Amino acid sequence: MLLPSPKKTWKVVCVVSTMALMNMSHAIADVAVVVHPTNDSSFDQGTIKKIFLGKTKSYTNGRSAILISANYSDPATEEFNSKVLGKSSSQVKAYWSKILFTGKGTPPQEMDSNAAVISSIASNPDAIGYLDASAVTGDVKVVATF
Amino acid sequence: MKKLSLVASALLIIFSQSAKAELKISGYGSIIAGKTLGTVDDPLNPGQKRDEILTADFYDVGQYTNDLTFKAESILAVQGTYKFNSQLSVTAQLVAKGVDDFNPEFDWYYVTYQANEDWTFMAGRRNIPMYYFSEYAEVGYAYPWMRPPSNLYWWQVTQFDGAHAMYSFELGEYSNTITAFYGNEYSDDNVEMLYYDKLYGGNARTVNEYWTDIAGFNWNMSGDFFDLRFVYFQNDRDRETIQQDGSISPYTPFSQQFIGFGGQVNVSDFTILFDMNYVEYDDAVGTEFPTYLISVVYNIDEFQPYISYSKADHERSKVPTQDLEEHYMLSYGLRYDFYSNVAFKIQYDTFVDQGHEPTGWAYHGDSRTISMGIDFVF
Repeated sequence: MLLPSPKKTWKVVCVVSTMALMNMSHAIADVAVVVHPTNDSSFDQGTIKKIFLGKTKSYTNGRSAILISANYSDPATEEFNSKVLGKSSSQVKAYWSKILFTGKGTPPQEMDSNAAVISSIASNPDAIGYLDASAVTGDVKVVATF
Repeated sequence: MKKLSLVASALLIIFSQSAKAELKISGYGSIIAGKTLGTVDDPLNPGQKRDEILTADFYDVGQYTNDLTFKAESILAVQGTYKFNSQLSVTAQLVAKGVDDFNPEFDWYYVTYQANEDWTFMAGRRNIPMYYFSEYAEVGYAYPWMRPPSNLYWWQVTQFDGAHAMYSFELGEYSNTITAFYGNEYSDDNVEMLYYDKLYGGNARTVNEYWTDIAGFNWNMSGDFFDLRFVYFQNDRDRETIQQDGSISPYTPFSQQFIGFGGQVNVSDFTILFDMNYVEYDDAVGTEFPTYLISVVYNIDEFQPYISYSKADHERSKVPTQDLEEHYMLSYGLRYDFYSNVAFKIQYDTFVDQGHEPTGWAYHGDSRTISMGIDFVF
């Protein structure tokens, strides 16, 4: 009974996508989701969301995902969390704290800089991360931009 | 004790290799101060006044009175997880609580084996997954309130030694996890039970509380806008109240069943949190505890104002009795995430005891409590 009816779900989708559009108009820069160049798995927004919420633990290539995030104060983090995960950064942090301290998953490792995000992903075939799209280099492969 | 030292030495070995990247240290904590605001007629000593008392933490008997204290529910915890490989890890939490004068104890220690994408097994000491918030009830940073409503999270046993098998799967667009668990808890020197013995004029040396053959499962389902959880378990109950002369008071063992359905639903800027639970004993009188919680949180940037209502009842089905323990809590508060991993919280609680005074079931007494502080993770 607490599952939203299809009609209600549609309304919620409308409200949320309107909000997402409003958010986008404020966006300073796009966020790129990047993986190791050899990672040939398929990605869409739903997959990326589930991976970054720890609900999906592996890529379509069968290997376990290692999560990398930009720094909490990096605007890319707020962008990614609101656009892709639909949560504020503090909500995401609270969400991961319940998972971490009940041993049900490992939150993304926070990197201090764009260069650190790129180098950690370039050096690990199973890593996935996100950063300011304008800071992407050829060392990593962009699988989505939001 | 032997078990504890074994874990401690295992951890020492692990910590001594901390140069390796496989060891992850993290932690959480809360520094909370609070007090109650007035006095009440002592329900157990009619005619006498006493401070209003709010039990914020039943398991450890962390209480607020008129004297401002940081000890009732402040807590510091450090977690270490060592990964042997991508599948096998050990985790331990060293927890220090104000109610224990911050004497650290290994409250959690368990092995995790992730067999594949779908199956995960855990064995060791963990919280019993009773209520929706039970497993992380002490991680204040993980939820909006100061604490999960203490008039529901009132059990004298919250942890157990056991095994868990978790199976994750997708059902349509929804992520599901079903966890089966089994274990025992031999809670020697149970703090809450000794407190009740004294409260009712007893003079016991100690009380040992045994919950055995704890067996059950929970089913967690989540989608974009919701997270729901159903739980069922049963276990056997026994108790040894050891008097000063060493004699053990008579006690009739029984078994209990626990059923719960809770979760959270996000609607626009609001989060609705709820939990409905029902506990039944197969004792002589047919004890039942129907309880529920409903809370609404408004998410506005880094602020989360909220309201919560939690109600607990106590009935007997075999000798129909309505007027036993009964109370509700109405709480208002605000969470403010003012720094990347620190949240400030302030909460006002009204506890209304609707229990039956003549039979001593109104033992909590009414209270109004203000508490504030910070929750953090690292």
